Amino acid sequence: MRERSSGRVSAQVALPKRRRWLRWGAHWLIVLVVLLFFAMPVVWLLSVSFKPPQEWQAFPPTVIPRGPTLNNYLLLVNPELPKGSASYMLRVTEPVTKSFINSLIIVPIATLISAMVGFLAAYGVSRYRVGGDFMPFFVLTTRMFPPVAFAVPLLVYYQNLRLIDTRLGMIIIYAGFTVAFSLWMMKGFIDAVPRSVEEAAILDGASRWRVLFTITLPLVKGGLAATALFVFILNWTEFLYALIFTSTRSITVPVQLSHYVGAVGRFYGPQAALGVIASIPAVIFGYLIQRHLVTGFSFGLIRK
Amino acid sequence: MEAISEAKTKQGLLFTLGRHLNRESVFKLSLVAPLQLLLWFLLIIPFIIVIYLSFVKWQPVFGSWTEAPWVWFENFQKLFTEIRFLEALGRTLAIVVIAVTLEFIFALGLALLFTRNFFGKRLFTSVILYPMMLPWVVVGFIFYLLFLDHGLVNSILTTIFGATATISWLRHSVPAMSAIILGDVWQWTPFMFLLLYSGLSALPSEPKEAAMTLGATPWQIFRYVTFPSLKPVILIAIIIRALEAFKIFDLVFIMTGGGPGTATETLSIYIYQIGFRFGQLSYAAALAIVILITVSIVTRLAVRPLFEKEG
Repeated sequence: MRERSSGRVSAQVALPKRRRWLRWGAHWLIVLVVLLFFAMPVVWLLSVSFKPPQEWQAFPPTVIPRGPTLNNYLLLVNPELPKGSASYMLRVTEPVTKSFINSLIIVPIATLISAMVGFLAAYGVSRYRVGGDFMPFFVLTTRMFPPVAFAVPLLVYYQNLRLIDTRLGMIIIYAGFTVAFSLWMMKGFIDAVPRSVEEAAILDGASRWRVLFTITLPLVKGGLAATALFVFILNWTEFLYALIFTSTRSITVPVQLSHYVGAVGRFYGPQAALGVIASIPAVIFGYLIQRHLVTGFSFGLIRK
Repeated sequence: MEAISEAKTKQGLLFTLGRHLNRESVFKLSLVAPLQLLLWFLLIIPFIIVIYLSFVKWQPVFGSWTEAPWVWFENFQKLFTEIRFLEALGRTLAIVVIAVTLEFIFALGLALLFTRNFFGKRLFTSVILYPMMLPWVVVGFIFYLLFLDHGLVNSILTTIFGATATISWLRHSVPAMSAIILGDVWQWTPFMFLLLYSGLSALPSEPKEAAMTLGATPWQIFRYVTFPSLKPVILIAIIIRALEAFKIFDLVFIMTGGGPGTATETLSIYIYQIGFRFGQLSYAAALAIVILITVSIVTRLAVRPLFEKEG
């Protein structure tokens, strides 16, 4: 029946063998180009991080270092390492350990606070509509505006409170400016839990707090973990607030990287090494919550 | 004996406290109290301060900010006659428009490409996601490396076209802007792709098949069947990306620092330079207020309906 339409439906099957191969080949070619485009920059970063100084800008460029070395990584921890080459004369003045310790203290604590505060508020919004329509949207304002706009007044009164360049100050900022994500992500997860379970427990005489922590919390445990990991990535990679509100004592990893880029100029190897190390936690956690990334970045608007 | 009665009163106290905490109104309040605390501390008090600051003439070197002279709208007047601000604004909007458009086109193409099944598809989808997890600073550094005078891009250009084809990317305004935009596109196309791809795979296949049976060409199917039903997702993706791109700072800061001169200065970089490098905090406050107002209007018009439809 109806030759025309059946021709369309089975176009792929009906093609002559050679054309089918051509099509398949073209498809794969595009996929490979795309893959190359997305992989190449990071491959280059990895490659530079294992190269000795004379190869950082060598021509012709090689992806696989001719004289692979771990020096770039070792220099990050121990700047006093024998340099061995003229390019290492510009030395890294500070080991990166301090910034890693700071990041490892600031980010997890801020993340925990953000996730917990977000969870509680999301429960209130989801079950009791606390704050009406206004509050959940008001929270979003922390993400809508360029952070630098908040930083201007914050700097002024952080100075008065002596919170500049302290871990506590950074923890407050990081918790507060990611709580919008926590609230909206958790609201999605809590909305998905049927109320009837909680209502039954309340009828049985359980207190509200008990219901919250022994019934709702276990049901959204996975969601809470995903939210926390997502917020962790955001905080781990955050740069602008850290740049403005820290100077020496409590600098974080991204700021440390920017110091390297700015201050020591052509020092690409160790910079690349630091870039690689700084990315690892974010990428690992990112793949752990791969399914939730879209939900996170869209404030729970889009879920898969 | 005493101990027991003490324990009893303690228990009683806890009991009363517990009963109070359990009253519905108190319970509700304590759910949002921590959030309120954070918001007051980081949003409302700073907001009051920023309004105050924008009406006074103050720099940290002048002494205490509470005693600064009141100058009314001087800061705002200065702002709208300042060509550097207007340029930065224009540049930021240009980045938003160009980068988001490119991201959308690439992502849509990719998403359509990935609707077909092929070997290794799931692996590919996972692999190309990683750029959005990277710290922006690292992305900035990578593209800085690539676009150096002796960087990879120039090496490739030399190999193909000879030494005359190289460009000092980061030292001229247009090439530097292109490099920055490419960095943004590289990092955020995967996000757009993921949104559109999940949108596409969620669409029912019946309308498409029906259109096929009726003899529609692939283009017609895309234009009249797929695209309209994908529209909500597209809208969300574009708005979220546009708001994010408007804030662009890290990439520019690492790659060019706003230079050469002010050739790649975006709004965020401009405020950073004015407020935190040169210490003109009251002027920066006026800038911040203008941005707050502009973004609020845009948000009010574009974003809120999205969330309301959802809620």
